[in-house]
Amino acid sequence: MIFEEIRNDRLGEKYYTVKHSSGLRILVCPKEGFRSTYAVIGTLFGSINKEFIHNGKRVTVPDGTAHYLEHKLFESEDGDAFKRYSKTGASANAYTGFDKTCYLFSSTEQFEESLEILFDLIQSPYFTPETVAKEQGIIGQEIKMYDDSPEWRINMNLLQAMYQKHPLRIDIAGTVESIAEITPEILYECYNSFYNLNNMVFAVAGDVDPEKVLEVADRMLKPNAPVQTESIFPEEPYEVGEKYVEQILPVSVPLFALGFKDKAELRYATDKELLCTCIIQEAFAGEGSALYRDLLDKKYINSSFYLEYSSGLGYGYFSFQGETRYAKEVSETIKEAVKKLHETGISPEDFENARRCIYGRMIRSLDRPSSIASDMMENVFTNRSLYNCFDIFSEITLDEVNERLKHHLDPDNCCLSVIKAITDVT
Amino acid sequence: MSEIEKREICEGVEFWCVRDDRFKASRLSVNLYTPLNRSTAAANALLSWVLTRSCRRYPDMTSLARKLNDLYGAALYPSIRKAGDYQIISISSSAIDDRYTLNGESVSSELAELLCSIIFDPKLVNGHFDDEDVEQERRQLLEEIDGEYNDKRAYALKRCREIMCRDELYSIGRCGSREDVEALEHESIAAAWKRLLDNSKIIIMMLGNADSEKAFKSFSSFFADKPRKFRKLTATVPAVHEVRRVVETDEIAQSKLVMGYRCKLPATTREHIISKLMCTVLGGTPTSKLFENVREKQSLCYYCASAINNHKGIMSIDSGVETKNIEKAEKAITEQVELLKNGVISDDELLSAKLAMKNAFVSIMDGLSGIEGFYLLDAVSSCSYTPAEGAEIVDSITREEITSLASYIKLDTVFSLVGN
Repeated sequence: MIFEEIRNDRLGEKYYTVKHSSGLRILVCPKEGFRSTYAVIGTLFGSINKEFIHNGKRVTVPDGTAHYLEHKLFESEDGDAFKRYSKTGASANAYTGFDKTCYLFSSTEQFEESLEILFDLIQSPYFTPETVAKEQGIIGQEIKMYDDSPEWRINMNLLQAMYQKHPLRIDIAGTVESIAEITPEILYECYNSFYNLNNMVFAVAGDVDPEKVLEVADRMLKPNAPVQTESIFPEEPYEVGEKYVEQILPVSVPLFALGFKDKAELRYATDKELLCTCIIQEAFAGEGSALYRDLLDKKYINSSFYLEYSSGLGYGYFSFQGETRYAKEVSETIKEAVKKLHETGISPEDFENARRCIYGRMIRSLDRPSSIASDMMENVFTNRSLYNCFDIFSEITLDEVNERLKHHLDPDNCCLSVIKAITDVT
Repeated sequence: MSEIEKREICEGVEFWCVRDDRFKASRLSVNLYTPLNRSTAAANALLSWVLTRSCRRYPDMTSLARKLNDLYGAALYPSIRKAGDYQIISISSSAIDDRYTLNGESVSSELAELLCSIIFDPKLVNGHFDDEDVEQERRQLLEEIDGEYNDKRAYALKRCREIMCRDELYSIGRCGSREDVEALEHESIAAAWKRLLDNSKIIIMMLGNADSEKAFKSFSSFFADKPRKFRKLTATVPAVHEVRRVVETDEIAQSKLVMGYRCKLPATTREHIISKLMCTVLGGTPTSKLFENVREKQSLCYYCASAINNHKGIMSIDSGVETKNIEKAEKAITEQVELLKNGVISDDELLSAKLAMKNAFVSIMDGLSGIEGFYLLDAVSSCSYTPAEGAEIVDSITREEITSLASYIKLDTVFSLVGN
């Protein structure tokens, strides 16, 4: 099996990629002089993949199933993965997001042994009624911990208010009630659909030799016949479901999150689109922006303020967040600024200033094996590529950015989510 | 990676440099060490925010922020930490390395100059900081202090430390208290600036591929060679007479249990590392005694972890538990601590803790901020070693050495935050 080499000489970077005979896509980025290695394997199975067609059969699973499956796969017939990794010294973890589940480790010694464990655990499902039931207590505690987290709650409330149909509105871990419906059969069904190696991606960066990765893959990976797995998403209306949502929690400084919903598209954004979005984000609300200054001068926000953009299959939104005692005023100020932005567009000065800032951030992300490996994996899932954004960076024009702006930040299609303090209410 | 190189600029001011060409970014920070003091902690903290907001060359926050964007998104920020009874005020910066700029500009020399302007040439009017700057930053600092309550895990840990060290300098918050910040007079900010530059121990740290000679000369020119009055503290661990128990209630779904222990202050580098290993065996990894027995076997909590503070001789164990399980969890935790003290440590437990610690030590060297933090935190302690040396020492530690140090562990305070 021969690796394809992808390089960028200006950056002095390269990585290797191959479709392994087992069906698994493998990407390897050796970083000279590094002593640690970060490895991650993932599949596009997250909380939004609630309905799917597997080999012609339509399946609907309880809320929180992807996360539950992650917990259960971490444990095989011969004990939990942490115990196995503890013999190699690797620091291991797993996480479930809205649209994917990932298993990872970072090591400085015995890389091959750790990789064997990783490959073994994603290929060794072991679910019985007893082991499935046992996890309910721990996950129940995890759900409760998130119930107490103002940052988590404000985001989930925002998504539930903005999205009327799309499963983005479902909490990643589900609820105590929904996870009680999960059975070994459901977990096997999901496993066979999404953990087929043809549907997974493995990426590793740092102190690593591509040939050694192949050797372990040849030894450990059982060939998988491709399966047809297709996630189904309900048609999402353009309009937000609710314009306002609030919750009361024991916080001393209230929080706000203002979300602007994009038109839903059932495809991933391209490198160029995302670069334009990043520039818009920085130019409009970064620390050097007029809006940021205005909100601070009015004493509405503090340094916890930030703006982020998220998108995936069937969703895309901007979210402005932070601590504030003036949620409604912040929201009105931002909406006014958004209206003005659509009238004037981004100025050439703001464009250039934001562009340089974004470029610096992209360069820095190449210093961390963890972000290189995660980006390489993500890029396969979303049909993008690691160095492409550097190659196209200089081509991006202000016109393109202002064109992209038309798809974002509709002041009539936003939602304000607020976490109020108990003391503000009583 | 080359080793750390330490040079003296003048008495009490050092320039530390780690040359490393593996990275596409570089870091430069000025770190001020001063004994914690109730009358100055808040002023020092607020000063660090005011300093990084503007300077004479970039007199308002927007012009400074845009300059940083122009330097390819360079970062400039303050941080305030505690190491034992010291307060560490850091003004840190980082930027991409000159090799990767789009038009061949030298970002590193501009950033060094900018950092000098921030520290030595602030925007003063008649010797005072700008009123508007001070008020804006004061409001934000107050909100940051208030905000510590939002994260209940961190809040419970902080409360336990406060209760435990109520008669020690360590009980002073890293930014002072809310009341201290509110009461600060404008004059005290300029006074804090002068006092820190004259009397604190200062470490300027540079990491990456940039020209350190140039930065060394720039910083040197700002320090006159006059005697400085840095006061070094002697740390001690108070004796425990009886366990103090404090219960608070709150509207939370998951209760928090924090147990604070007194430990021996490590006297040598080796003891420092034994102490860390002891804590790792107890509750530092997902196969540690606490995780394995309290969470996995008994399902008593979602997390249960221990952390050691070698500057203070304190260990804390914190967990998130269901209210009805608080007592059971405390009993289960106490059992594990007793086992540790009695030397009941299996070969597997010892080996996995060692491997995890070695992994952590070696991984530090793969990131500039990790290297920076590693050296800066131990600058006021009696031990000095590199991460590589740390990894080597871990290997040779015996079970007996751990048990011997564990015999000093004594429960001091139990704090619980209970859901209604």
